[in-house]
Amino acid sequence: MEVLQSLRYSLYLIFHPFDGFWDLKHEKKGNLKTAMLIVAMVCVTFILRRQLTGFILNEVKLRELNIIVEILSVALPFFLWCVANWCLTTLMDGEGSFKDIVITSAYALIPLILINLPLIAFSNVITLEEAAFYRFFDILAIVWAGVLLFLGTSVVHQYSLTKTFLTCICIVIGMGLIIFIALLFFSLLQQMFSFFYTIYKEVALRL
Amino acid sequence: MRARRILAIVFIFVLLCPAVAHADEPYSNYNYDFWGTPIPAPAAYVPSRIIDGRALDIDNFNKPSDLFTGPDNRLYVADSGNSRIVVINENWELDRIIDGFDKNGVRDTFRNPQGLFVTPTGEIYVADTDNSRIVHLDPDGKFIREIGPPVSDIIPADFKYYPTALVVDKANRIYIVAQGVNQGLIELDHNGDFVGYTGASKVKINLIDYTWKMIATDEQRERMVLFVPTEYNNIDIDNDGFLYVTTGTIALEDIDYAIRTRSKDDRYAPVRKLNPTGTDVLRRNGYFPPVGDVSFRSRGYAEAGHSQLYDVCVEDSGIYSVLDKKKGRIFTYDTDGNLLYVFGGIGNRLGNFRDPVALDIINDQFVVLDFNMAQITVFEPTEYGRLVKEAVELHLNGKYDESAARWEQVLKYNANCELAYIGMGKAYLRKDDFRNAMKYFKLGNKRDYYSKAFDLYRQEVIGDNFGLVVAGLVVLYIGSRVLKRIRVRKKAGLKAMGKVEA
Repeated sequence: MEVLQSLRYSLYLIFHPFDGFWDLKHEKKGNLKTAMLIVAMVCVTFILRRQLTGFILNEVKLRELNIIVEILSVALPFFLWCVANWCLTTLMDGEGSFKDIVITSAYALIPLILINLPLIAFSNVITLEEAAFYRFFDILAIVWAGVLLFLGTSVVHQYSLTKTFLTCICIVIGMGLIIFIALLFFSLLQQMFSFFYTIYKEVALRL
Repeated sequence: MRARRILAIVFIFVLLCPAVAHADEPYSNYNYDFWGTPIPAPAAYVPSRIIDGRALDIDNFNKPSDLFTGPDNRLYVADSGNSRIVVINENWELDRIIDGFDKNGVRDTFRNPQGLFVTPTGEIYVADTDNSRIVHLDPDGKFIREIGPPVSDIIPADFKYYPTALVVDKANRIYIVAQGVNQGLIELDHNGDFVGYTGASKVKINLIDYTWKMIATDEQRERMVLFVPTEYNNIDIDNDGFLYVTTGTIALEDIDYAIRTRSKDDRYAPVRKLNPTGTDVLRRNGYFPPVGDVSFRSRGYAEAGHSQLYDVCVEDSGIYSVLDKKKGRIFTYDTDGNLLYVFGGIGNRLGNFRDPVALDIINDQFVVLDFNMAQITVFEPTEYGRLVKEAVELHLNGKYDESAARWEQVLKYNANCELAYIGMGKAYLRKDDFRNAMKYFKLGNKRDYYSKAFDLYRQEVIGDNFGLVVAGLVVLYIGSRVLKRIRVRKKAGLKAMGKVEA
């Protein structure tokens, strides 16, 4: 019940972002459960979109669906954003906690679901000539979600718009850094593993 | 019980029977699907015979470099190393050898002739490479004239003229590919006078190189690599006078880019069709541009890397084939640029090559000349290859139903043939059977035609159910009004109740 109400509130939020995000945090209109549900719904939306978009606009190999990759391609960037956001804003006097950030960011993704789901149906009844409409709404969803993400960050940390803008750029760079370090870490781990394995082999063969 | 025993005996016999033996070509037969994955396909052409010096009962060929199909299905071979032209008749027997000619009373010979062309009337033009001239002979091999190096203000005095390939159009204009010329083809008029260069490809300017060049000093600029257009390596001409040229000098990254983006740009195209003004007009509407192989394993494998196109030959119908010198494959494309079939390969068996340099078609059979093995391999079409070709040709001639019938047969041989599905789809579209057309275009991964069929289908559905659609809209409208009113009333009622409670 709480979740349903919260979901309904998200419909208000996407049209009134300033009030919406404020109340989301301070009036406790949002909760983590709903946020997770929204992220899951975005994942589902993108999978549906990959598989069910009309033939004319869909050039992927339908037979080669890897559901884990699809889920990760939504969830991983999302949490990366949240982590990078939290890392930076704690240093920069941001007022939002990690939970606030996750909730805000998740609610900002609502337009992706709302626009993409009807768009899937729409893509099945249009021809190539009408594809421009499809592309328009496709881009609209992304821009809308992007603006909400931006405003959400601004409201939840009580930043001015310029500061938010700079922070957002830094967050994106931070995401890249995290990926880089993660890759470095795994690569090192692998090397270490192979090093010890070689030692083990050497010893085992000599004994 | 008895029936069972008989059945058992039959089974044993079936198991004992050896598998049906079939000739196996020493190369893989495949075609690319929409995503660029090579998909196995039935063989379209199989090797049928080898022609070399021994088969013709003459000295072996020595570094032969060109062959050409003349009138009466005679095959003319430029046997460069022996400085002679060998003519083979349609029974694959020696017709004659032209190893010299009588020039104004003096005996003259060729020196390393690398290209030749035979007009429909049988006149022979030979690119006499090391003699820096074109020799024009009549059908009997008698000397008519010779055409020396082109003379013009725009040609530098120290220009070394080595013609390697040529064609002559119906107006007797001569188009020559010469070594080291990157301005395009050399065009001569019917007298053999230089007209100009034609068909030079546009230079692709790289923004980074351009900026560097702008800030560089004059000395630095001189030392930089020049931006040169591509150099052509072979040429053919079709019935309408369009020139088909191939080039092997396109950067591999550019070809990769063209494959990745399914580019129709002629600047990245190793095969081009030039109209009389020298502009490329080749249609590249296939899944991928005609570049030979579009998917290859990375370096280090025997069969890795890009195709290197070295020769092209056009059939009367406009179907053209290109020869991949590096991997010894022949790729055949239709007029739209769809890959029809692939055959051939590098190796030592019948149907393989070591260094294929020239390709032509004679009576539906492909002849491929091998420079290194000094022999000609003849390929003949299989039933499958013939069906594909007929289907394409019938479609070009406007016989759509017959074409569709051929495609249907093709599908029996090869259910992965996307081109066949498209062909069937087109036939259904013409019959106004939009649903089937959509089905087949989907199987053939042809989105633009699917869209067309779908558009018509949609019109049909809406047209048939127009009354229903309007009725549905009216019901929706009224329904929403009624619902709204009910809601307003409920709210009013609740308010009233709230007041009473308060």
